[in-house]
Amino acid sequence: MYPANFDYVRPASVDEAVALLKRHGEDAKVLAGGHSLIPAMKLRLARPSVVIDIGRIATLSYIREAGGAIAVGATTTHAEVETSKLLREKCPLLSETASHIGDVQVRNMGTIGGSLVHADPASDYPAAILALEAEIDLVGPRGKRTVRADQFFVDLLQTTIAADEILTEVRVPMTSRSVAYIKTEQKASGFALAGVAVVASPTGVRVGITGIAPKPYRATAVEQAIGNQRTAHAIEVAAAHAADGVVPLADIHASAEFRAHLAQVNTRRALERAFARA
Amino acid sequence: MAERNAARAAGRLFGVGVSTYLEICAMGPSKAMPAGGWEWGCVRMEISAKVTVITGVTPHGQGQETSFAQIVADRLGVPIEDIAVLRGDTSVAHYGRDTYGSRGTAVGGTAIVMSVDKVIKKAKTLAAHLFETLDEYVVLENGKFKAPGITAREITWAELAAEAYLAKNLPAGLEPGLEASSFFEPENFTFPFGAHICAVEVDRDTGEVAIKKYIAVDDCGNQINPLLVEGQVQGGIAHSIGQALFEQTIYDENGQLLTGEFMDYAMPRATDIPEYTLGSTVTPSPVNPLGVKGVGEAGTIGATPAIANAVIDALAPLGIVHLDLPMTPQRIWRAMKTRTMATV
Repeated sequence: MYPANFDYVRPASVDEAVALLKRHGEDAKVLAGGHSLIPAMKLRLARPSVVIDIGRIATLSYIREAGGAIAVGATTTHAEVETSKLLREKCPLLSETASHIGDVQVRNMGTIGGSLVHADPASDYPAAILALEAEIDLVGPRGKRTVRADQFFVDLLQTTIAADEILTEVRVPMTSRSVAYIKTEQKASGFALAGVAVVASPTGVRVGITGIAPKPYRATAVEQAIGNQRTAHAIEVAAAHAADGVVPLADIHASAEFRAHLAQVNTRRALERAFARA
Repeated sequence: MAERNAARAAGRLFGVGVSTYLEICAMGPSKAMPAGGWEWGCVRMEISAKVTVITGVTPHGQGQETSFAQIVADRLGVPIEDIAVLRGDTSVAHYGRDTYGSRGTAVGGTAIVMSVDKVIKKAKTLAAHLFETLDEYVVLENGKFKAPGITAREITWAELAAEAYLAKNLPAGLEPGLEASSFFEPENFTFPFGAHICAVEVDRDTGEVAIKKYIAVDDCGNQINPLLVEGQVQGGIAHSIGQALFEQTIYDENGQLLTGEFMDYAMPRATDIPEYTLGSTVTPSPVNPLGVKGVGEAGTIGATPAIANAVIDALAPLGIVHLDLPMTPQRIWRAMKTRTMATV
């Protein structure tokens, strides 16, 4: 289908974009890479009367060290995240996760900010963002606020962002190489039926899971079960808790039962791989 | 097989599947077809000495634009670049029974052969007249008309075409022009056959299937263009991977199609296609002068059961003897789970 009619504006700065959002409110949608918004507009699931294109605001696209963390600008593409030397060395989980998104064409256009705000329950980044305990900056008429990853995702396709706010930056910590992202793809779309991200450190393990539930989650039961153990048996026992406390999604591609099973399998594999990379 | 047995001994789910097929192709004798099984074709030597071929079949990837040009180029002794194959428009190809049932070359190609041979026959009559001899002493060799033993003179297609269309010196009773059209009514179907072998490994945890090896040997009779034959078989195998492993049309209880988009309907992609080993034998068909049997469907007929059989073979140690298509990871996992629970 063609999208419903809309006006198109291209602000030159974040402030200008925020002012536009404030003026148009719920009638407006922000466009970055377009790989979530435009398909939704073509299906007329989204019908903004104003599209605010921030994709060319150069100051929003960057990957740089900032105070012991790595700051990634909102309009940085998945391809840039995937290939960034800085991220590959200092936060390899984010690059690895980005490499699983869509395909080459999608990665060349889609942005980390756009993907996170859209919050598709089967998108890849949320698992990594949660496991990394990333921070997210939101800028609106009331100024800038920083949200922790575990506060950002609220429900299916819903985040804590307000209608007049723009996501400007994601900050991820530096980690060792002891990380992994294991994903089972829905065969048609390539989205995650089960995507498990693991960050392992001497102090413990963090596990983020996407694709299983209406919103991504930290598998705290797995984290508690594995503690500091690293044996194959301990991994298997811990991974069995991967779907604890969530009601898995069910659709034509996978039943709730199969999703829960995949969560366990991929958790086991992600733990194994992360520990092997230590 | 050694690889399969070793993998099984190591507890992996590795399977080999075989399928052999015999199919009915080259649709077909009109008595056995609902609305005519013939095919129509026309060949015209233009005054320019270029050749126009018009066919009632409509290739949409099968390549008759190339293979028909090859057939005509070979028979006439004309460069293939000088041949145009027109098709796919009823204002150009007025009658045809079209492209399906592996009939394009076997039936459509024969109509072209019939027409090309009519043109050659007429051309020989005209050449004989120009040589002042009888038809039976004229030969067409390397695109030139000769009358060995009668004269050293040779007549090119260009010269002959000019004579035919300027019509200043035609034998009595011979119409101007050098074109012919034909309807080929096949006396029988053709019966291509083949054998396909597929090796797969099934991931015990996720039910995902990986194709480890694929071998196909098909017999489609004479091969006008081996590259086109190979392409057809490859395409058919790719289709079968989709049919055996991914593709399903799902409706809800209200009849609403749930898999109406390629985001939900899983098509095989390039990354899903393994390296094939393709071979062929050649048993020409007696049913048409080209000896071709058709190959449009061979790949998918042979491959779907080979892949399915391989998956079932892989799951045989678990006591699984059947799975509906498509053998999706979820379906395989459910079967493995029930068997496992049943043996506990």
